[in-house]
Amino acid sequence: MDLAVIERGTALVGAIVVGVFASIALKADWNAKGLDNDTTKLLLGLMAFGCLMVLAASFGLIGPKG
Amino acid sequence: MAVATPTTTPAIPHAVLDHIHPEPQGFIRKYIFSIDHKIIAYQYFITAGIFFVIAGLLAEMIRIDLLKHTGVLTPNVYNQVYSVHGSMMVWLVIIPFVSGAFGNYVMPLQIGARDVAFPWLNLAAFWMFPPAGLILLASFAFGAPDAGWTEYPPISLQAPYGTSMWCMAIFLIGISSTLTGINFLVTIFKMRAPGMTFTRMPLFVWASAATAGLNMVATTALAAALLALFLERQFGVPFYDPTKGGSPILWQHMFWFYSHPAVYIMILPAFGIISEVLPTFSRKPIFGYKMIAFSSVAIALLGFMVWAHHMFTSGMAPWLQLPFMIITMLIAIPTGIKIFSWMATLWGGSIEFSAACLFAIGFLITFSLGGVTGFFLAAVPADLHEHGTYFVVGHIHYVLYGGSVFGIFAGLYYWWPKMTGRMMNERVGQLHAWITFVAFNCTFLPMHWLGLLGMPRRVAMYDVEYEFWNQVISISSFFLAASTLLIMGNMLWSLKNGKKAGPNPWGARTLEWMISSPPPYYNFKKVPAVLAAPYDFGNPLPYVGLEAEPGAMEATPQHTTGFVPAH
Amino acid sequence: MTTAAVEHGHGGDAHGHDEVIYQETRDMRLLGFVLFLCSDVVLFSAFVFAYLYLRGTIDEWPPILNGHQLPRLDLPFAEFNSVVLFGSGVTMHHALENWKHGKKGLFDVFMGATIVLGIMFLCGQAYEYSHAAIGGWSSSIFGASFFTLTGMHGFHVFCGVVYLAILWWQTKKGVYDTGHYFGLTAGTLYWHFVDVIWVGLFFLFYIF
Repeated sequence: MDLAVIERGTALVGAIVVGVFASIALKADWNAKGLDNDTTKLLLGLMAFGCLMVLAASFGLIGPKG
Repeated sequence: MAVATPTTTPAIPHAVLDHIHPEPQGFIRKYIFSIDHKIIAYQYFITAGIFFVIAGLLAEMIRIDLLKHTGVLTPNVYNQVYSVHGSMMVWLVIIPFVSGAFGNYVMPLQIGARDVAFPWLNLAAFWMFPPAGLILLASFAFGAPDAGWTEYPPISLQAPYGTSMWCMAIFLIGISSTLTGINFLVTIFKMRAPGMTFTRMPLFVWASAATAGLNMVATTALAAALLALFLERQFGVPFYDPTKGGSPILWQHMFWFYSHPAVYIMILPAFGIISEVLPTFSRKPIFGYKMIAFSSVAIALLGFMVWAHHMFTSGMAPWLQLPFMIITMLIAIPTGIKIFSWMATLWGGSIEFSAACLFAIGFLITFSLGGVTGFFLAAVPADLHEHGTYFVVGHIHYVLYGGSVFGIFAGLYYWWPKMTGRMMNERVGQLHAWITFVAFNCTFLPMHWLGLLGMPRRVAMYDVEYEFWNQVISISSFFLAASTLLIMGNMLWSLKNGKKAGPNPWGARTLEWMISSPPPYYNFKKVPAVLAAPYDFGNPLPYVGLEAEPGAMEATPQHTTGFVPAH
Repeated sequence: MTTAAVEHGHGGDAHGHDEVIYQETRDMRLLGFVLFLCSDVVLFSAFVFAYLYLRGTIDEWPPILNGHQLPRLDLPFAEFNSVVLFGSGVTMHHALENWKHGKKGLFDVFMGATIVLGIMFLCGQAYEYSHAAIGGWSSSIFGASFFTLTGMHGFHVFCGVVYLAILWWQTKKGVYDTGHYFGLTAGTLYWHFVDVIWVGLFFLFYIF
């Protein structure tokens, strides 16, 4: 099988799993206060967004043309 | 008026401040690898002082060369001399003095802390400083940097190995600055005495906070620029070389994004020093405390938005000129607010013209002149003519010497008794101030005229029509250099023969004057609660629970100048 | 270092006072650490600016080298490697959560997973570097910006792996307990920071 397809497929599954877990963690910590918790929430949120990007890329929705 | 009862709850918990660690033992731990902010400050003072003398000698080499329009040094040597002079003065003298030395010594004392937030980090940051200086000086053996302290490519790409050493040296001192900035910010945010809200902090602390923020954010941008230059020089990685797809203007953007905030790093603590010196020697509250405090923050923020005013003639996108010009002009507003507030502080005060006060007043004059010429440079049409000429050299020295160095001198005269427990000779100090003021203006004022006549900067030889004023400048500069001996001699003399200073020779009101001179290693036996800003001369001191040194809280200062101010 | 003694906490009547001091110093260390991360963001931002600026000077991206346009980078592989790194962020989060609740066994599992995933990411980067067809580090502004930025990031990841390994060793030596674990908090924040930088770099080099 084409290597790119394996990579993409694994990335797709992984992005969903990781993104879901990151979102759960974010939701659980949502009301936590303090500089460390606020920073963690921000970074987890951005990381979840990263998973979303990988997801979109693996479907070919974003990324360079051709 | 009775002392206010402490009804305000402490703003910051003070358990940390109660804890006194045991005194370090042994010469090495006490004086070489000390974590005491006061000792580290002395180390910065001494190291920066040595670099000041070296960089000053380089300046005199410049002035000797410029005595003759045909030059004295070869151009290759001359280029290295002014490049290292500028680099040293910015990174190895002024920033370490105002931030590493004064910031370290005064700021923790003024907030009632026993030390900074991270004393070991403080130690590490200091010990990057001498090696950085040595690397830069060693570059002379390998072909010192020769494209100015600004090291524009493509020249800096083609220069010999010393330029790579310059990259390493400045990178190292940059790490030191960044760590110190973080350290000071955390100290000021978390370690103030109970009751010391932000609007009860001394103005030098406000200045230190703004400076620390600048240090922390801007310096890493310089690190990036230096790293890229180093990688390109050593490994051919294309960032700045246009023949390989790079851009010389990219360097200018990256360099100036740091270096403009850097000039505010150099001046803001000096502003803070003036804000401490003037109320004390006018025996009057500082005028416009909040305006001065907030303007420091405004200057720091605006300082990030003006870098391209150094690039009006660079060939960058023309549409950038107008916004940068306007924001640059806006910085004159918070700065002007400070100047007027300081003048209003002096007005109607019972002024004692001590050496510190003379330098502070001199600062008001010379820094304002520098600010005015800066405004001329901010105007794009004028800058097109003035850029790269001696007009700029005049401007920068008015704000850097007439500003930062005058501030440093004022601070040295002011805090010397606190640091050493001895008074300096006031007469010699006042003489120093007067000679410096006259020699300084004779040296740097004609440069504006030369620049407008068209004399370019960074030239080893020049058109014969400029020769007369260059000679005036050079000879004045010899007097200026010589005048430094007055303070150096005074310091050495005072260490042995100076009158013993009590805790508060000037009758000032900030916390550092409430403890012995020099302070014990733990600073305060008991950290007081603070009820008000410290500038209310005439009202009782706003400290509760302070075990002050006897004589610290006297309303009348020792009249060490020999003058009794007229009441 | 004094950290160990302060982290551990002590019993006894002075405990309350010691605890206040611990919390205050922890607050200071946290602020200092977050400020350090901010200054690190500026470092990356400056290079990102350089990349975008240089990219803006030419019409075609990727740039043309020796008459041929350079290819784009291997997006599918980067998707895979990115998920590896993001996954390590989630495992690190869970490691810390388990530590807070005293579940040392689960902590070990997640901490180990984080380090393994971190090393996997670095190996992935090594693979990417070896088979990237965009020319070398010094061949063009593409190589210059890509290898410098991802190289700096990779260096930060490497330091992070070492840092996490040291923290893990410290947990074995009993430096931390369920009430005092600032080192672990700092390590987690650092690891998330390195993760988020990669989100940016992934977008800038593989998507944009």
